[in-house]
Amino acid sequence: MTNIQDNKKEVVITGFGGQGIVLAGTILGKAAALGDHRESTLVQSYGPESRGGACSAQVVISDTIIFYPYIKTPDVLVCMSQGGYDKYIGDLPDDGILIIDHDLVKAKRKVKEFYSISATRIAEELGRKMMANIIMIGFVTAVTKIISMDAAQDTVVKSVPKGTEEMNLKAFNRGSDYGLSVLKGREKKAEGRTGAVS
Amino acid sequence: MDKYKIILFLCNWGPHAAFQALQDNRDAIPSEIHMVRIPCTGRISKSLLLKAFEKGADGVILMGCRHGSCHYGTGTETAEKNTEDTRKIIETLGIGKERLKFVTFHPDESDLLLEFLNSFTKEIASYSHTHVTRSKDPEPWVEKSIEEIVSKHDVFACQDCGKCTSACPLALTGKPFSPRAVAAAVISGEVNDESVKNDIWSCLTCGICYDRCPSAVNFPEFIRDVRCYYKNREITGQETHGGFFQSLMRTMTSSDLKPTPWSWLPEEIKTDSNSKVLFFGGCAPYFDIFFREFLGVKTCNILADSLRLLNFFDIQPAILEEERCCGHDLLWSGDRENFTRLGKINADRIHQMGIEEVITSCPECYRTLAYDYPEHGIELNFKVTHLYELLENEINKGAVQFKKINKKLTIQDSCRLNRFENIYDQSRKLINRINPESFTEMQNNGKTSICCGNSAWIGCDSFSKALQVKRLNQAHDTGSDVLVTSCPKCQIHLKCAMEDPFRENELKIETMDLTSIIAKTLRWE
Ligand code: SF4
Ligand code: SF4
Ligand code: SF4
Repeated sequence: MTNIQDNKKEVVITGFGGQGIVLAGTILGKAAALGDHRESTLVQSYGPESRGGACSAQVVISDTIIFYPYIKTPDVLVCMSQGGYDKYIGDLPDDGILIIDHDLVKAKRKVKEFYSISATRIAEELGRKMMANIIMIGFVTAVTKIISMDAAQDTVVKSVPKGTEEMNLKAFNRGSDYGLSVLKGREKKAEGRTGAVS
Repeated sequence: MDKYKIILFLCNWGPHAAFQALQDNRDAIPSEIHMVRIPCTGRISKSLLLKAFEKGADGVILMGCRHGSCHYGTGTETAEKNTEDTRKIIETLGIGKERLKFVTFHPDESDLLLEFLNSFTKEIASYSHTHVTRSKDPEPWVEKSIEEIVSKHDVFACQDCGKCTSACPLALTGKPFSPRAVAAAVISGEVNDESVKNDIWSCLTCGICYDRCPSAVNFPEFIRDVRCYYKNREITGQETHGGFFQSLMRTMTSSDLKPTPWSWLPEEIKTDSNSKVLFFGGCAPYFDIFFREFLGVKTCNILADSLRLLNFFDIQPAILEEERCCGHDLLWSGDRENFTRLGKINADRIHQMGIEEVITSCPECYRTLAYDYPEHGIELNFKVTHLYELLENEINKGAVQFKKINKKLTIQDSCRLNRFENIYDQSRKLINRINPESFTEMQNNGKTSICCGNSAWIGCDSFSKALQVKRLNQAHDTGSDVLVTSCPKCQIHLKCAMEDPFRENELKIETMDLTSIIAKTLRWE
């Protein structure tokens, strides 16, 4: 069923309540729909899991109409808590993309494409731990390119509380800058150029 | 067309006898040859050789005694080395190394001598004139009066508190020198007293005094302007190395000259002439040639490593093929007229390339381009960024790490970077990112850091040496094995002090530029 539309991407973002997981999912979906003019759906799970328990956002993005918003096998799994990782990692296929918060999640399983960022630590550096989700969205945007950079930035600005736009944009850029650096580093390493001198 | 001018520095001893024989025989010595009789070729410094070209010579001959027949023993060898180095420098400068020759003759070789003079004259004619044509401004350059200088820097606000003198590194080495007293003397009209002149030329313009002054008297710029006032009245200071560097910079103000300071650039470094970003290198290529024999500095490595770091971050900058000195040392040794000329040429050429951002790793180039060019009416259509800012920015994005260095480090701050609020602590940030065995600050560090002992190639004396010894002792006291620098000149001047034959082992310490350390250890994660 999922393979009918090739350009369809299914993203699961997980973490614990209070991290802004659902806002992250919303930004992803809105950016795709309003910014990139594609289709998107969002399913959020609260339930008994909220209040500090595991929580998740399921986002489907596609060029054509989406018939089924629930995700069984995600293309991209973003984990901001160990609980979320443990719960969803089994659903991720071997060719899926795994993205984690480096300081909060220990990833045991090996997948083909793996990225990690210390989103929470960077957020603390920037003075606001709660911006970790925005940093993560920046990072996800840069490494997966599921949504365009412009749409993502635009949506971040429109989705965060008034007065915090600039701060959040800065957080987003920290995440996306890091993502772009990671990609550049991998590319260079693949070419056998690890350092500046050799 | 003007007649060619060839300067013949002729040693008093061996070849002079041969030359005299030609004169006695009324042989036709080419009229282009202008003979200057000298006691020994070994006494003709690189500075004198270069100055001949600066003043308009088309060719220069240094003529001495054959090997083994030098009256003083080592003159011929010294002259050979000086000529070799000067040839390399004038080649880089765009004058062409063929125009300078060192030759030797025995007293009885007058025929050979004449033959040589004829053929060299022909050779020079085949090259035509050099492009050293320093245009004279139609209007004579006028500097501000002392009253204007005093009021510009509000020296009257001086409270006579003496904080400047108590912090001045020169005063603290025991030199009878006091910025407070200089300020007072100039205010009371003693600017032309010998002792005041001496003091004005001695200051290192390091700026610690300015940092301390409760009345914010910008002492370094005040000193600089008084120097310009002097220079304008033909009062010159004690230029080091015979004024070689000032002469080099003045020569570069000839706009038709085509220097080639980048000819040495290793092939693996990528530059792009269409880039909107330009890397400005500075005078490292000249320093390396000039100090080759004595200090063996390799400051070009700083430029290469800067470019490697830019390449590392996927920046392939343009370079200005005919780059000239930024002019920092001309300005700070009082020659505002030639500084402005030089600055205009650099700025024009950079504008012609459509550059939007200039990056430099040299603290002096940074200050001069970013601050002194606009101050002197040279408008810039590009922004100037110090390499450290760019590195800090890029490294901060993440995904990089630093390989461990098994060395203990300490750092010599650059006076010029130290006075910029936005970047004075960038070197600290970077050094805290790298991964050495240890990093220890010297007793005087950061804003109160002591100068490397010379600035603008002016007034290097025994007190400068004492200052450098003090600084090097501080470096050793940290127990470090590498002294990290940010400015190529800090390396040059401090290394010079290490050459002291009596305390060599006591003072020697490895020096390394921060940029090079980063280039050698930065890795993608
Ligand atoms: S600039 Fe430096 S050397 Fe000159 S007076 Fe001030 S502290 Fe002393
Ligand atoms: S610190 Fe300033 S106010 Fe004090 S003596 Fe020096 S120049 Fe004058
Ligand atoms: S310290 Fe040495 S290299 Fe520096 S100006 Fe003095 S003599 Fe020249």
